[in-house]
Amino acid sequence: MDIILLALLDGIAYAALLFLVAVGLTLIFGVLGILNIAHGSLYAIGAYVTATIGTWLVANGYNPWLTFPALIVSAILVGVILGGLIERLLLSRIYTKEPILQLLITFAVFMILENLQRMIWGVQPYFLDTPLTLLGNVSLAGVNYTLYQVAFLPLAAIAVLVFLRYFLRHTTMGAQILAVTEDREAASSIGINATWVYFVTFVIGASFAALGGALATPTTSLVTGMGANMIVLSFAVAATAGLGQIEGAAVSALMIGIARSFAVYLAPEIEVVMPYLIMVLVLLVRPNGLFGKETVRKI
Amino acid sequence: MLNLKSVDASIDRIPILRDISLNVDPAETIALVGRNGAGKTTLLRSIMGFTSCTGAITFEGRNLFDIAPHQRPALGIGYAPEDRRLFSRFTITENILLPARVAGLDEAETKRRLDRIYLVMPELETLGPRPAGSVSGGQGKMVALGRAMMLSTRLLMLDEPFQGLAPVLANRYAEALGKLREIDPTLAIIITESNPGLLRRFASRMVTVERGRIDSDVATVAAA
Repeated sequence: MDIILLALLDGIAYAALLFLVAVGLTLIFGVLGILNIAHGSLYAIGAYVTATIGTWLVANGYNPWLTFPALIVSAILVGVILGGLIERLLLSRIYTKEPILQLLITFAVFMILENLQRMIWGVQPYFLDTPLTLLGNVSLAGVNYTLYQVAFLPLAAIAVLVFLRYFLRHTTMGAQILAVTEDREAASSIGINATWVYFVTFVIGASFAALGGALATPTTSLVTGMGANMIVLSFAVAATAGLGQIEGAAVSALMIGIARSFAVYLAPEIEVVMPYLIMVLVLLVRPNGLFGKETVRKI
Repeated sequence: MLNLKSVDASIDRIPILRDISLNVDPAETIALVGRNGAGKTTLLRSIMGFTSCTGAITFEGRNLFDIAPHQRPALGIGYAPEDRRLFSRFTITENILLPARVAGLDEAETKRRLDRIYLVMPELETLGPRPAGSVSGGQGKMVALGRAMMLSTRLLMLDEPFQGLAPVLANRYAEALGKLREIDPTLAIIITESNPGLLRRFASRMVTVERGRIDSDVATVAAA
């Protein structure tokens, strides 16, 4: 019984992080039509920047509760500066190019950023557990669990989902994003600046990846290669949901997060393949993903 | 008001328009006719900035090549592209209001323009709450006209609005255009059409495009 509860709580906490990264990936794909492999690097750099800022705050005697706003600030810094630079300097030049070229370019960016992480932060693991210890533990049906993972992470994921739904459906910028996604030329013909919309969307998506990394920092040690793991997993989440599906990403992140967690406790030998097993099974039955819609291909 | 001088336009490096020169004055209704593939749509898309062009296009003395495509509607240019191209995730009213929201028009001005649209096409007010993806082809053309009217204070460009419309709906659409002309006599209107007979009633000029060139440019009876 304890194992089931532990697996469930672990799964929900992990699903929250998966969702944050996958929703950024799927938003960028849905609007820009680009599968951004460098998304994994934005996750990793978000984590490293958070650890750096948080460690500096604690080491210099600042109030340790400041590590919480540092999570958000780090994510925004990485999303706006690094995400903004990637979009402006590279992606904005290749929107009309072949998808395979776009994929290769974002893969190249990923490789460059992986090496940049090694150059800046080295290969030693980084830790920042201050937010985790500050919130303390909670006892659920006799099982002790960190409040950070059981409440803070899921609430952060729900907040992002609610924010995105509100932003896209009830703000003028959100309406412009939806319009450009559907028909870029028709959107331009009513005065929408599609170039700006692409930039804003990419920065928001990149910030979510960095936020995923930032919020993961207190729960794990930061090591090189963490970005590669996350991009593959978040792609599995996005593909299972149907690329471009925001609410779907939440459902499939929960499915994959919980299934992976149960595999860790009950069948560790299939833990690594579990997310991809779910993805394959879903795509075999529904090739466009759980929530994806069939589209007519223009020839 | 709108002046095109020796305009050549190409799409994906394939030349479509050659040496187009055209002058459009306020209050004119120009029928741009020609066969399918003659270059009518490309001409309108070039004015909106969606093709690679050479030559010169000016609007009220301003060089349009210096103005980004998304900034051209703010000059008072409304454009209803071929095939409606409504935003299916929004309702009819949201589609019509979106240009005003993007342009940052205040509430009073938005209402004034919306009333003008409803005066021309009262049915849009009733259809308003319906999702844009659920309307028929003819209704969709009306919505596209309404959306273009939201910003067209100087020039309105309609691409093949009668294409695929049943006779009853085509008559209704023509009636709406007649009403628009009546309430806004200074507005310049350019309408493309494959069948010249459909536009003869209300066009003041008939410009024929043939293989990317202007073949003829004549005043029609409606102008008299």
